[in-house]
Amino acid sequence: MYNFDFERPKSVADAVKALQTEEAQPLGGGQTLIPTLKQRLAMPSKLVSLAGIDEIKGVCKDDQNRLCIGGGTVHRVIAEKAMSEGFPGLTGLASKIGDPAVRNRGTIGGSLANNDPSACYPAAAMATGATIVTDRREIAADDYFKGLFETALEEGEIITEVKMPIPEASAYMKFEQPASRFPLVGVFVARFSDRVGVGVTGASESGVFRWTEAERALGSDFSADAVKGLSVPADGMISDLHGTAEYRAHLVGVMTRRAVAAAQ
Amino acid sequence: MSPSISLTLNGEARDIALDDPRVTLLDLLRERLALPGTKKGCDRGQCGACTVLVNGRRVNSCLTLALTLDGAEITTIEGLAADGTLHPVQEAFIENDAFQCGYCTPGQIMSAVGLIAEGRAGDDPERIREGMSGNICRCVAYHGITLAVQDATRSMTPLKKEDAA
Amino acid sequence: MKDERPDRTARAVRSPLPHDAATLHVTGAARYVDDIPVPAGCLHMAFGLSEIARGTITAMDLSAVRSAPGVRDVITAGDLPFANDVSPSAHDEPLLADGEVFYFGQPVFAVVADSHLAARKAVRLARIDYDAQTPILTIDDALAADSRFEEGPRVYAKGDADGAIAAAPRRVEGSMEIGGQEHFYLEGQAALALPQEDGDMVVQCSSQHPTEIQHKVAEALGLPMHAVRAEVRRMGGAFGGKESQGNALAVACAVAAARTGRPCKMRYDRDDDFVITGKRHDFRITYRAGHDDDGRILGLEFVQYCRCGWSQDLSLPVADRAMLHAENAYHLVDVRIESHRLKTHTQSATAFRGFGGPQGMIPMERVIDEIAHALSLDPVEVRRLNYYRAAAQSAEGGAAPATPAAPLPRDISGQKKVHDALPDDIASRGALGEVVEPAAGRVAASGEQTTPYHMPVTDFILHEMTDRLCQSADYTARRAGIEAWNAQSPILKKGLALTPVKFGISFTLTHLNQAGALVHVYQDGSIQMNHGGTEMGQGLFRKVSQVAASRFGLDVDRVRITATDTGKVPNTSATAASSGSDLNGMAVKAACDTIRDRIAAFLAEKDGVDAATVRFEDGAVITGAERYDFAEAVRLAYLGRVSLSATGYYRTPDIVWDRIRGEGRPFFYFAYGAAVTEAVVDTLTGEYRLLRTDILHDAGASLNPAIDIGQIEGGYIQGTGWLTTEELVWDAEGRLRTHAPSTYKIPACSDRPDLFTVTLWDGENFADTIYRSKAVGEPPFMLGISSFLALSDAIAACGPGYPALDAPATPERVLAAIQRVRAA
Repeated sequence: MYNFDFERPKSVADAVKALQTEEAQPLGGGQTLIPTLKQRLAMPSKLVSLAGIDEIKGVCKDDQNRLCIGGGTVHRVIAEKAMSEGFPGLTGLASKIGDPAVRNRGTIGGSLANNDPSACYPAAAMATGATIVTDRREIAADDYFKGLFETALEEGEIITEVKMPIPEASAYMKFEQPASRFPLVGVFVARFSDRVGVGVTGASESGVFRWTEAERALGSDFSADAVKGLSVPADGMISDLHGTAEYRAHLVGVMTRRAVAAAQ
Repeated sequence: MSPSISLTLNGEARDIALDDPRVTLLDLLRERLALPGTKKGCDRGQCGACTVLVNGRRVNSCLTLALTLDGAEITTIEGLAADGTLHPVQEAFIENDAFQCGYCTPGQIMSAVGLIAEGRAGDDPERIREGMSGNICRCVAYHGITLAVQDATRSMTPLKKEDAA
Repeated sequence: MKDERPDRTARAVRSPLPHDAATLHVTGAARYVDDIPVPAGCLHMAFGLSEIARGTITAMDLSAVRSAPGVRDVITAGDLPFANDVSPSAHDEPLLADGEVFYFGQPVFAVVADSHLAARKAVRLARIDYDAQTPILTIDDALAADSRFEEGPRVYAKGDADGAIAAAPRRVEGSMEIGGQEHFYLEGQAALALPQEDGDMVVQCSSQHPTEIQHKVAEALGLPMHAVRAEVRRMGGAFGGKESQGNALAVACAVAAARTGRPCKMRYDRDDDFVITGKRHDFRITYRAGHDDDGRILGLEFVQYCRCGWSQDLSLPVADRAMLHAENAYHLVDVRIESHRLKTHTQSATAFRGFGGPQGMIPMERVIDEIAHALSLDPVEVRRLNYYRAAAQSAEGGAAPATPAAPLPRDISGQKKVHDALPDDIASRGALGEVVEPAAGRVAASGEQTTPYHMPVTDFILHEMTDRLCQSADYTARRAGIEAWNAQSPILKKGLALTPVKFGISFTLTHLNQAGALVHVYQDGSIQMNHGGTEMGQGLFRKVSQVAASRFGLDVDRVRITATDTGKVPNTSATAASSGSDLNGMAVKAACDTIRDRIAAFLAEKDGVDAATVRFEDGAVITGAERYDFAEAVRLAYLGRVSLSATGYYRTPDIVWDRIRGEGRPFFYFAYGAAVTEAVVDTLTGEYRLLRTDILHDAGASLNPAIDIGQIEGGYIQGTGWLTTEELVWDAEGRLRTHAPSTYKIPACSDRPDLFTVTLWDGENFADTIYRSKAVGEPPFMLGISSFLALSDAIAACGPGYPALDAPATPERVLAAIQRVRAA
């Protein structure tokens, strides 16, 4: 790693101040950032650990039936709490990220801020129409994800909370790249009273997306059959050593149908 | 700047001056604190050989910056056997042939201790396997490892499970 | 699932005792090279690697490297005072590139620094310019360029394969791609060199072959071997990847230690380990088989294309062994095996559990499977039909028609490559110029069944094993059940496969089949044992200590196991070819028996009995007249001035092998096994799971059932991983893209089938091996072929076509095969 200064603020306000230094970077659980630093793919001048900020940890439900997850909450806790708040799709997602050691440290804020094209949470955020709350504003999921590793976050902006509307039914189907357990394709399906959301991660060269054609079909008929004839074009899907674009496009359809079946 | 951290390491309070903010817990243990029991298999958090317990929870020590551990309680493989008596998980690993070359063993054992403390896998082999899935064993001692975790789970009462973490 | 929990109270040989150092392992106290406390002032090393696959270095500016913080020295090829070579064979593998680079990741220079981190950081500051050339990367590239080792293909043949195939009523033919495999030993490569007085050097290394380390270090330092000592206490896994690949680290550390006068240490980070070291050879193998309507194979030809990488390393014996296992368990009368050893600008492929055997064997199983498919027969029946005849029948029964002598292969006796000035590393499997001993081996009698290389097969037990396994695994009923299940399951399909293994045991380079031991009995009756075998988790140390303890009638805890050390036993072979227990067990037995016989003779004289009646049992020595505690007997012997220390030596009898002609008896015996695997495939995604595995494996009269079962399960899963999820990918520039556990998937805890049964075949080795046991390190690896064919069977249930699955069978490949099968 290149050298860096280090700060461990106790409040969001202190963290924001610390991040005003040029090339300063927030550190969540470190499960992605530390390997990145070790490979010297990033060289922040300063790391600002958010792990000591209690005000951004925790999970609760608000009066709009949204699950409010502190940005500094680890995956393990999210999986546990989502289950008790009636959101099994999110439990299924969070409990399968990486492995147990990763789930003890990795945070939702860190994951969303990084926006790895193969991260799981973006699919849930898009499907549920979540709101990403930062130290300075609120951003709708549709406006938040901008492309591979790109988000709407400004320099020094911290995710303090994610507000996810709790669907009536939900499921996450992940086709794992077996070595890393990242999704080759991951589909999150969320059924609300007035709409259905289908978020797809791991597949597209433009990052996470909503499969709107499937959403419409499922809106009138929430069944696997409703999406049977639908497919996404291979053009624009990621082709890499783990799978071709055609394979990914094919899997999007399969995983969507399975997620719908699991959410019944 | 010479930051320092105060933590509890295998039951002992320690103040450690860090000459470099980049040092991971793994490198601190192996290179500065003469505790080479925790192994470096990949240094990327992908093999589990470096598993230790931080505040009773298992983490990959190669992905943990030492600086973030101020105030934490750390348990490594060297800290498991109390006064020369092997921990039930250690006993179970010997009884069940849960290793061949032994290199992944400290990480497996710490991960098993953490898993048992979580209290959710019970002695269900499938949940144990899933719960241990972050610890690779190239020699494939998985069967012995699963049996060892089952054994240890059974022999440890709920009271002891908390002590272990 | 069988609970195989062993009984710990039994003693010595045949007991399922735990691995040696068990307590050390579970407490984290077991030391690997990187854990050894180093003397103050120890320096650390890292290699600077080539960033192109093929080219010439036109400029190399290491000034920034030299002046980087913590750097003490920088070494290039020109700085090496004596040999620049780490090859175990043809001296074609410089430690540091000498003007030319031959693969992406080749070491070009070495940095010596105060810390590991400082060395790695300094490496990046190098400025190297290359004149890049087009690399030869694939098998097709190499064939087009005629880039190969040896002047042409090697051919082993019997009878007239072409004629028999042409005359046969039916034929199958095809081609199979077989991927390589990364060792991924959890403990990466590591070495520590400690300079001694008068120029001597001691090296602690993670190596299967300390004698080779000693030899290459001596060469590099310009010293006779007696000035160098190599020691190995244990390895955190090796699997063949530490037979020759450790040479580079040991030599680099020794050279640096000699230059600086300080201890020097080196370990590869995981990514570097992937990129620098060689892996399992990948192959393309084409086949043509003629057969009859019952499935009997009448003629068979294999052409094996072996991708060896840029230097010879151990590729010749690997490719030879692939030829020697091409027929697996089947008796072929008219057969031809042609083997091309292709040179490419990639990592130098090296030894890996099975050493070419698995790669040679899998197409044979494909041929059987394809024939069965064509005839709508159960593949197990086709296997049985083609099996060798059972043992104790092979010398009689149905004289085979006299077969015409096969035309001799072109004389392509091994050519020595560059650096003829350097003496051969004769203790290495890669050694050239081997001596063909005068035919001490028996020539096959007429009518006797022989392998394609003319070795009689007299110990074949797969008929009985197949019968027993089919019964215990409920094969017939399950096959019917799966067919019915598949018929009503549109998305998921199940498959079942039984595959056998016949694996030849001995080094094919005959002179390597020797071993030595050194045993001391101390005055207090405690015993220290040493031999040339190394411990890499296979339980060798435990097994051999059981032998020693048994010879003296003692508990194993009386026997102290010590690190392998070239200063104690010289001229050792690598711990490889599964031969460790056989060779070293026998050598230790010889040493123990020498001492035991001396004690016996001494006490017999003292007590006036016949020495042959003296017994060593249950910790005592009994002369009939008297009963002595072992320690007391030893004390008396010492006082009687009887030597209580002895060396032991063993050489495998009866083997003789001409690798050019492809004739002889390269193996002392064969080890056998069979596995039944059931798998389920998701036809929408190509994903699959293994549901159940039943294994019956022949370990002879097992020295230690617990260790053997561990080896069998470990081998099977590792073999399964090789053929399913472990995929190595290089890009068009020759860069290895899969170089971390996040991109290269080895089997994890959750990948093991829920139902998994391993049973040892309870039968003694016909050959006179240590306690009539059999080697068990490699043979079970090839049982993983049953997983692969189970997948193929499931795919075949999707349509009329034949899957023709390539390895590794990733989900995407499985899906493509399903589509092919449906479209046929």
